[in-house]
Amino acid sequence: MSKAMIRKTILTVVMLFFSIVMIVPFLWMISTSFKTPAEVFEYPIRWIPAHFNWSHHVKIWSGDNSFVQYYANSLKVAVISTAGAVLLSSLAAYGFSRIEFKGRNAMFLIYLSMMMVPPQVLFVPKFIMFDWVGIFNTHWALILPGMFTIFGVFMMRQFFLSVPAEISEAAFIDGAGHFRIFSRIVLPMAKPSLATLAIIDFSWHWNDYENALVFLIDHKLFTVPLGLQNFILENTVDYNGMMAAAAAGIIPMIVVFLIGQRYIIEGVASSAVKG
Amino acid sequence: MRSSWMKRQQYLGYLFIGPNMIGVILFFILPALYSFYLMFTDYKFMSPDTKFVGLANIQRMLGDEVFYIAIKNTLLFLVSVPVSIALAFVVAVILNRSVYLKNLLRALYFMPYITSGVAVAFVWMLLFSPNNGPINGILRSIGIAHPPGWLSTTESSMYAIDIIWIWFMLGYNMIIYLAALQEVSGELLEAAKIDGARTWQMIRSILWPLVSPTTFLLLITGLIMSIKHFGIIQAITQGGPGNSTTVLSLFIYQNAFRYYEMGYASTISWALFAIILIFTIVQWLGQKRWVHY
Repeated sequence: MSKAMIRKTILTVVMLFFSIVMIVPFLWMISTSFKTPAEVFEYPIRWIPAHFNWSHHVKIWSGDNSFVQYYANSLKVAVISTAGAVLLSSLAAYGFSRIEFKGRNAMFLIYLSMMMVPPQVLFVPKFIMFDWVGIFNTHWALILPGMFTIFGVFMMRQFFLSVPAEISEAAFIDGAGHFRIFSRIVLPMAKPSLATLAIIDFSWHWNDYENALVFLIDHKLFTVPLGLQNFILENTVDYNGMMAAAAAGIIPMIVVFLIGQRYIIEGVASSAVKG
Repeated sequence: MRSSWMKRQQYLGYLFIGPNMIGVILFFILPALYSFYLMFTDYKFMSPDTKFVGLANIQRMLGDEVFYIAIKNTLLFLVSVPVSIALAFVVAVILNRSVYLKNLLRALYFMPYITSGVAVAFVWMLLFSPNNGPINGILRSIGIAHPPGWLSTTESSMYAIDIIWIWFMLGYNMIIYLAALQEVSGELLEAAKIDGARTWQMIRSILWPLVSPTTFLLLITGLIMSIKHFGIIQAITQGGPGNSTTVLSLFIYQNAFRYYEMGYASTISWALFAIILIFTIVQWLGQKRWVHY
């Protein structure tokens, strides 16, 4: 082995060690969820439990307010919000990138400025407004605002701007209108970007704790993060159950990440670099 | 110009943007305006009469002891941003050229960012258990007889939150650095190598300056993102013990939804906006300065 290869191997081993440190919380969570209460804080840590104890997983997935209900709620909220967000963002992004009309730049400036407004400014007025119109403490309080993402508009606009204008121009000369060009030409080309936006948006909704905390009180409506919090408040010393519940919250995201890794990493990288 | 066709069917522009614009008006613009109005009222939830109080809320905020504690905690929290960026730079430089299994390693370092919600915060809560938690178990086994109390004491709680946040942001910062490093030409580095530059010199005098626009971008966006965050803190400490982890964004949430002081909460939320506005202006000015993007 050459000197360079030895160096590369050593660096790989070192980086591998630190990457394991990065995912240790996940490993510890899974390991603990299969242990007995007495084994939780055993030291040295026994990473693979002596006996696999499934009772904590059974506990969180059964009964009245179980993770079955939380999953159904989270899926409903995340899927509808994401579908709406992807559609509405790409429509708006096409308008911002491919049609010139009066007031476009002013509108775009408004979008830009709204990105600066922190959610804390909006929570109180939304809470009062949702209460007025009667969607407070319903899933609509999460779904309806969730369908509008300014980030999504920016991301899709960035992509549409990178599609050569000549393609649309040629279609225009052939007599196609904006809707035809959008649905038949631009959108199919944007599939990777749409996938990226969908995955990022879905994970955002799945992990969204703050909005659910503010807008939901009814236990039956709880999404996974709230269900998890509730479990922990009600079972303050059941550490194994807590970790089984945490695993239930995290594992879908790990699966989404493993499947959509390429889209997620490229999407995150490009959205920030292009600003 | 090439875009003459873009000007045709102009009315369609409104149709394309319209649906989204309605949502932006309903869920961003109107609430923002309403919140601006609430800033000057003593609005309390369920309380029948709301009075216009002028600048009383601002006065109250400036005289509120907890507000200053929250500012101090926020600054302690924001310390995690440059730390995470520095670590991410080191990881990215190594992963960029000098390891095998690059894709696997990249995925492992990035994993906390994508999976992080409150779920992972609860895992950290147990890892940090002061008496018998695994972290203190390891610290004791390497000879530290009195490890910190982490989330359980007012002195250490904010640092424990910082560790979680550094862990969370590291992967994101690394991905952005990796994208930036890919733009750095290999030839430049080869040439430097031939000139006898050592690795450390190459990193310090070539890579670090070349990615400085990225560092700046990460710093500003990281500060903005962090200053808005309160989910993890609310989930595991609710701002405690005492007020030791009450950051500004959490302070707003608590005033609004624990004490129902919604007018007052609106005032503090605009103070938060002012800070974000300053960061954004700094970002604009800074981006103009760095031409070699």
